[in-house]
Amino acid sequence: MKVPLSWLKEYVDIDLSPKEVASLLTFSGTEVEGIQTLGGDFTGVVVGEVLSVSRHPNADRLTVCQVSTGTGDITVVCGAPNVAVGIKVPLATLGVTLPNGLKIKKAKVRGVESFGMLCAEDELGLSDDHKGLMILPPETVTGTPFAEIAGPPETVLELEVTSNRPDCLSMIGMARELAALLGRPLRIPDPVVKEEKRSVESLAAVSIEDAEGCPRYTARVISSVTLAPSPRWMQRRLTAAGVRPINNVVDVTNYVMLECGQPLHAFDYELLEGRKIVVRRAREGEQMSTLDGSARAVDSGMLLIADAARPVAVAGVMGGAGSEIRDVTRTVLLESAFFKPSGIRKTSKRLGLSTESSYRFERGVDLEGVEWASRRAAQLMVELAGGSAAAGVIDCFPCKPARKRIGMRFQRARDLLGVDLADERMVAIFEALGLTVCTKEALRCEVEIPAFRVDLDQEADLIEELSRIHGLDKVPSPAPDSIIIPGADDSAARALLVCREHLVGLGLSEIMNYSFLSEKLLNLVGFGNPGNRILLPNPISADHTVLRDSFIPQMLETLGRNRARQAREAALFELGRVFFKRADGKNGEEDRVCVGLLGPVGRSGIQKTQPVKDEDMYAWIKGLLEEFCRALHVESVRRGGMSRMNLATAPCDHGCFEPGRAVSVSVAGESCGVMGLVSERLRNEWRLVEPVAVMELSLAPLLKQVGRVPVSSSVGAYPGVERDVAMVVEAGVSHEGVLNVVSGVAPQELVGIRLFDVYRGENLGKGRKSLAYSMTYRSLDRTLTDEEANAFHDRVKAALRKELSAEIREGA
Amino acid sequence: MNTQDIVILKDQAVADIRAAGTPADLEAVRIKYLGRKGLLPVIMEGLKDAVPAERPEIGRRANEFKQEVGQALDAAKAALTAASSAATRGHFDTTIPGAWRGLGQLHPVTQVIEEAIRIFSMLGFTVADGPDIETEYYNFDALNTPGDHPSRDTQDTFWLDSGELLRTQTSPVQIRVMESRKPPVRIIAPGRCYRRDTTDATHSANFHQIEGLYVDRKVSMADLKGDITFFAHQMMGPNVKVRFRPHFFPFTEPSVEYDFSCHVCGGVGCRVCKQSGWIEISGAGMVNPKVFSKVGYDPEACTGYAFGMGVERIAMIKFGIEDIRLLYENDIRFLSQFA
Repeated sequence: MKVPLSWLKEYVDIDLSPKEVASLLTFSGTEVEGIQTLGGDFTGVVVGEVLSVSRHPNADRLTVCQVSTGTGDITVVCGAPNVAVGIKVPLATLGVTLPNGLKIKKAKVRGVESFGMLCAEDELGLSDDHKGLMILPPETVTGTPFAEIAGPPETVLELEVTSNRPDCLSMIGMARELAALLGRPLRIPDPVVKEEKRSVESLAAVSIEDAEGCPRYTARVISSVTLAPSPRWMQRRLTAAGVRPINNVVDVTNYVMLECGQPLHAFDYELLEGRKIVVRRAREGEQMSTLDGSARAVDSGMLLIADAARPVAVAGVMGGAGSEIRDVTRTVLLESAFFKPSGIRKTSKRLGLSTESSYRFERGVDLEGVEWASRRAAQLMVELAGGSAAAGVIDCFPCKPARKRIGMRFQRARDLLGVDLADERMVAIFEALGLTVCTKEALRCEVEIPAFRVDLDQEADLIEELSRIHGLDKVPSPAPDSIIIPGADDSAARALLVCREHLVGLGLSEIMNYSFLSEKLLNLVGFGNPGNRILLPNPISADHTVLRDSFIPQMLETLGRNRARQAREAALFELGRVFFKRADGKNGEEDRVCVGLLGPVGRSGIQKTQPVKDEDMYAWIKGLLEEFCRALHVESVRRGGMSRMNLATAPCDHGCFEPGRAVSVSVAGESCGVMGLVSERLRNEWRLVEPVAVMELSLAPLLKQVGRVPVSSSVGAYPGVERDVAMVVEAGVSHEGVLNVVSGVAPQELVGIRLFDVYRGENLGKGRKSLAYSMTYRSLDRTLTDEEANAFHDRVKAALRKELSAEIREGA
Repeated sequence: MNTQDIVILKDQAVADIRAAGTPADLEAVRIKYLGRKGLLPVIMEGLKDAVPAERPEIGRRANEFKQEVGQALDAAKAALTAASSAATRGHFDTTIPGAWRGLGQLHPVTQVIEEAIRIFSMLGFTVADGPDIETEYYNFDALNTPGDHPSRDTQDTFWLDSGELLRTQTSPVQIRVMESRKPPVRIIAPGRCYRRDTTDATHSANFHQIEGLYVDRKVSMADLKGDITFFAHQMMGPNVKVRFRPHFFPFTEPSVEYDFSCHVCGGVGCRVCKQSGWIEISGAGMVNPKVFSKVGYDPEACTGYAFGMGVERIAMIKFGIEDIRLLYENDIRFLSQFA
């Protein structure tokens, strides 16, 4: 809301600078977003009259004008589209500096000398309007100093009024705040209307059919008005407040709305059928055309103002085209009413129509101030439009609600704010805000709330008033106490941070994508079950239509984008939530981690230049998985003397991976996710030439052991004995298969087994391969002899021969 | 031969070692003193001629001689070898790049969340969590948001076909926590939030908040101010100032907004703070008694404060990031700056 400072000063004495006022308001809850100065020193700017206009000889868009300054004629080159013979325009003469900083000098414009400038409003600092010259009313006397028309410079505060404070959407409302803050009296005018003998009841009637939607409706009739421009002071104020002046009658309604916050409407009385106002719900299928020229379908949820025959306004939102004030209007019916906020909000939303009026009604206007506004507007119409007001006011107010009363305990206020505030100071603050303290006892007071404070309805609300006006800066800011809440445990929430730290330690960088993406991308990658996806019914763009049920699509997109920006390698992870419809049809979400690897991420230094093979990529992502699981203390199984993580991988099929390069991962027997090498089809989508590996895991199965405290066991004091075994087996025999056979027969003394060579060669025969292992035998209570170690090793070799038909290469 | 002679002999030997310039010279010195026909055996030989009372002392000295000269010879030999190998092979290039698998880094948003958790943990706050897909009850009703409040509009909120919604704030976690525990409560809840904002340099439809809630018998606005100020100093540095302005939120009463003084210009005004010297951080306030009633807390028996801060906003001012979209673009050149 725009508030001209000079207007505020009508109601409260202010001797602070605009900046000080702004700070006072900002720190009491109404943020001042800007301070604007309108106008300025207009010495040397006079009303000029354009005597002649001719085309500039050298420029199509310019004209050469003869302008009378009142004391002589000068030549002015002008570029405005609305220049015309006979108009009166502010003319800046030589030597003037305009408020926007422009200095007027004698200048040759495209070869024609110009001796001044005809001005637009923005050049004069009066508004942002640069559509054309500021054309003054024809009766303006040529040569009049422009300062007499523009008035002194005006300071305008731009306020952000919070939605709970409709009373602050007015000059008096803001003045009341300042009065309370400054401890000064508030001056509210007491309008007196010069009334004629005829009573208003003899001229008009009001009936309210929906008292819930309209608890109060007042009407006055002002006859014999003469439509004309408003006086300059009123035009200046309206303009400064951002409202365009129209004519004296309409301007008065706007002026009073800005003054007290009560929207008013003026009907042309002659156009009201039956001289009657009916406040009623719209009928199904009813139509009406509003002031803005559009025909609107109204429905039974909307409140209308009608005359005896037809609707004449959408109550509280906008007037109708058939009853509006015209140049020939002689008699005005003035509406000042209270409409139920929720009803107006619904109507405004349904019509897609928000006005200054609906904005205020939907927040709540002052039920008690309805008649004051009517009286004030009638007074001004009589004064400014030469009208004659009928005696009295029709005030339909069937059910006057009692004012709310709220009790407040003084100590409660001090405790809640943590500030030492005397009882008397609290009472004084309430009274300064226009609240009535009806009783003040030793421990508490009771406060009566006037209708304009729609936001106050409990003790805490009153305490907020104290903190606002006393000042939050006076609330102390003590050093904090550390307070431990017994039993508080956040290890589960922190486990996700632990995961992130481990992944960073493993060399991965964290990325973050939106939780929503396009279905096209999800389908392209072919992950998840399309039937279980959660769609966004009202997405902001076609790229964000569905909640992700996998991170992989965005991971690939991220790798692709970075590859396109010449990244040679990337090791990324994203940790967060995916969303899906659960088996029971309800929406579910789950924490997951996704890893993406591109380029020679498993190599370091100058080895990075070697080409990356599929086997390398797989080894790296698997290594990552193993290290990540180890860091999370994934449960181990002991077989013999060896302990192995309960982590299993098995080949699987998945559309986004290369055939034979997709692996399912399970942890402690629980299926946990997939990893693999991304298919060529998808790599081509993002021009990823090199092998790309991705992995996506559900975190719940992985996090079961986080926080487990390791229990130490002896590593033994005696040296171990190493024995190697090299064997030729069928190509289908897996490392896992070897481990299973070995651990099946291994004695306690077998404490380590390490694969150190894999070889496939023609000399081994088709479909065969050679595997070489190093085994460590160690006893906890003695040094093993060679004979003992050999005996263990022979048992292992025998089992390998038997179970895997391994051909042991003795002496290798 | 007496003990005096041995001392003199040792000095001679040390001088000879120092003078030796090549391994061959050193070997000659060794033979001269320690060799089978060298001077040390001569000493030992003389032992039997010595006065019996002096024998032990001479023996001790002789051993000392053998050890010290031996060590000096070894040291000199090592020095000569090192010098000669450096001369023949040259030093390796010490500036060659290192080759160790590098560390990754956390996303700046996560870094701010982790830092906030660290700071509030010092005060005894624990981390709480809630779902991204929320019910209207937790996101709006229980937080005392009027039924026709504009924030519920489909223009602002992502509603789902199920009637649920993507949470627009982390405040629903407050409700979930209070429903599940009796006071006192001291939690922070970081998480993703969603609003139907058109994306621009300062708005993102997907963003993060950190919710804070403290409920106890006598929590005051002063506690809120003190704790937020502590947070500001920890997060942005000890010189940052904090100011509080009254504001309006349905779930707190009184409500405030708070600003940090601009860390770039120190409060004088610059481009980052739009010349105001201050940067708006978030909203906070004393929990509205109506919210306590909804979760079954006795509004007479407890008071509390709550705050919600925008993580991206803090990350942007802390790290000098000018466009929020950079945080979701995942350009590794950008992200690697936050290692």
